[in-house]
Amino acid sequence: MGDVIIQVEELSKAFQLGTIGTGSLSQDINRWWATSVLKKEDPFYSPHSAGKTGSSKNHKTFWALQDLTFDIKQGEVWGIIGNNGAGKSTLLKIISRIVKPTKGVVRGNGKISSLLEVGTGFNQELSGRENIFLSGYILGMTKREIKAKFDEIVDFSGIEKFLDTPVKRYSSGMYVRLAFAVAAHLEPDILIIDEVLAVGDAEFQKKCLGKVKDVSQSEGRTILFVSHSMQAVSNLCDHALWLQKGRLMETGPASTVINNYIKGIRKFQLHHTWDNMVEAPGNEIIRFKSVRLIPQFNDLDSPLDIRVPLTVKFQFWNLGGEQNLSVGLHLFSYGGDCIFDIPSPSVPCQKGLVEGECTIPGNFLNDGSYYMSLIVVKDTSVNLFYYEECLSFEIDDYRGDIKWFGKWMGAVRPTFPFHIGQKELVTQA
Amino acid sequence: MINSTPKNDWEWEITAKTKWGMDFKELWYYRHLASSLVRKDFLLNYQQTILGPIWLLLQPLLTLLTYILVFNKLIGVSTGALPPVLFYLSGIVIWNFFHDTFIGTSFIFRENAQIFNKVYFPRLIIPFSQLGTQMFRFAIQFAMLAAMMAYYVIFKDYTLPFNYLTFTLPFVILLVGLTGLAMGLIFSVITAKYRDMVHLVSFGVRLLMFFTPVLYPVDYVPEKVRWIVQFNPLTSFFELFRLALLGEGTTTAWSLGYSVGLSLLLLGCSLLFFNKQGDKLIDVV
Repeated sequence: MGDVIIQVEELSKAFQLGTIGTGSLSQDINRWWATSVLKKEDPFYSPHSAGKTGSSKNHKTFWALQDLTFDIKQGEVWGIIGNNGAGKSTLLKIISRIVKPTKGVVRGNGKISSLLEVGTGFNQELSGRENIFLSGYILGMTKREIKAKFDEIVDFSGIEKFLDTPVKRYSSGMYVRLAFAVAAHLEPDILIIDEVLAVGDAEFQKKCLGKVKDVSQSEGRTILFVSHSMQAVSNLCDHALWLQKGRLMETGPASTVINNYIKGIRKFQLHHTWDNMVEAPGNEIIRFKSVRLIPQFNDLDSPLDIRVPLTVKFQFWNLGGEQNLSVGLHLFSYGGDCIFDIPSPSVPCQKGLVEGECTIPGNFLNDGSYYMSLIVVKDTSVNLFYYEECLSFEIDDYRGDIKWFGKWMGAVRPTFPFHIGQKELVTQA
Repeated sequence: MINSTPKNDWEWEITAKTKWGMDFKELWYYRHLASSLVRKDFLLNYQQTILGPIWLLLQPLLTLLTYILVFNKLIGVSTGALPPVLFYLSGIVIWNFFHDTFIGTSFIFRENAQIFNKVYFPRLIIPFSQLGTQMFRFAIQFAMLAAMMAYYVIFKDYTLPFNYLTFTLPFVILLVGLTGLAMGLIFSVITAKYRDMVHLVSFGVRLLMFFTPVLYPVDYVPEKVRWIVQFNPLTSFFELFRLALLGEGTTTAWSLGYSVGLSLLLLGCSLLFFNKQGDKLIDVV
């Protein structure tokens, strides 16, 4: 481990919501004329509210990142963790030079390659061979590098037979394999990866993770890795960086940061209620009024453990008029793996309040932390609103008279009928 | 390395500001990307087509036929001392080069937003490869023009000029391409910001054609309004192109100097503008 290879100093990024341009030249000229020449108020963001609320309220500025400062040393593998919208991708994009920061500096040494998606620069019409070159160049490889690695890339992807077939005729698995194979043979000093490993089949994912691990261990390369999967991060990374709402919460050894992150987001939300429709989560068609998780205790003193059935009750306003609606319930473990996805039947709904409930039986989920998302679907096919992470909760362990205290494996712990008994006795000779 | 790098000695730095000026070393590093994109354009245009590259020749030929019918036979626009076929075809070929370069670069940010959002490379590579593609297409169409000229020389006793002006041809062609590139670069930024400008681009370039001596020689324009046509920097390039190639065309050193100066100035400004705006546009597109 050696020198600092990336230095980030007071990095901030603001997005102007809707104020960068109105999207039409005549309006922009109009606006420029009004604000810059006549010194009047912006005609397109008229402050209908109290006149002195200041520009910060009218010009909605969204700070995707605020004042990040950290150093990354050569050869370190960093995991970047945080909730959705914490600014992880923005950070990667700034370091990759795709997006400009609003304030602050990133300095560094060496060549950077970033894999923010699988198959950047691939063209559907071209053959696999052409695409290896095209994508390689776009990712910053030189002609010599690609030629030297060509056979290795083809080997890794396992598509020799289809090298001269247009990639549009590939199966999606083949496509992903080829795309990753090109990316995996990049030789930058700093490699930036954004959850690209979340595609492909399990076996291929394993291969990819293995490749990343190889690269980081044997070749001393610096890697920045964003993932929702805590397992992948703790597996691959020795350092972690935790972002929350654009702010740096913690940096340090991966295991410590991951632990604190999981503890930190365990502010369990068992119910949400909104009386004011404007503030409620949703859009112009669907707005949620309430979501509640009600444990069906036998007596009130008992803990929320694996035996307790859980009822989810929710209400939402249907603002879209008469339509067939169904609701899907997605349950996730804190690692981000989906445990199940159950849809409700689709029923005709009128404009107004709609309610529903679903019960997860007791003795089904394993102990651990979970979060849940609700999706409202029209005609069982059109997604109207996805309410992500609306509830989160923790289920305690209960083992009865089992005298073993190790971590119980598995995502679920159902009690299926299970029988063992004495079949016959060994008779003493 | 034994000593740690001093604080101010970094290979690269990312800040809020974009520096004016260009990084030629980086552009050179990505040269293979540019050539690969030219290759891609070519493969894409002619894979799975019946006539393939013949389209490249068919389009100017059909245009030529229309121009001869409408402007020469019907309206009777003079083509000077030149045979109409050579006059129009030379105009069409060089105009196509300008037009396609301009249109091809005008929508770069809109069309490549997806890639620009996912990977970094010098954005100028895309317009440069576009210019390369168009040069290639021009070369093919020019070859057809040359064949047509050869036909006239052999069968119609037409004599071609060959003098010092012939050597200006490559420069004229390059300047026309660079003017198209420069205008395209500026409009690529504008169309990314303002969706309504798309109409202006396609409509404006059509109007521009009438202010460029494609269909008529500059001599044919009445003296009083000739300045309007000569205000267009392309005019003297087109005239010089015909003069050098076919021996007919009117241009003066002054107007040529004006055209060269203006198009190089335009090119310089557009490159800086594109570079400077390019980083910010990612937030918008």
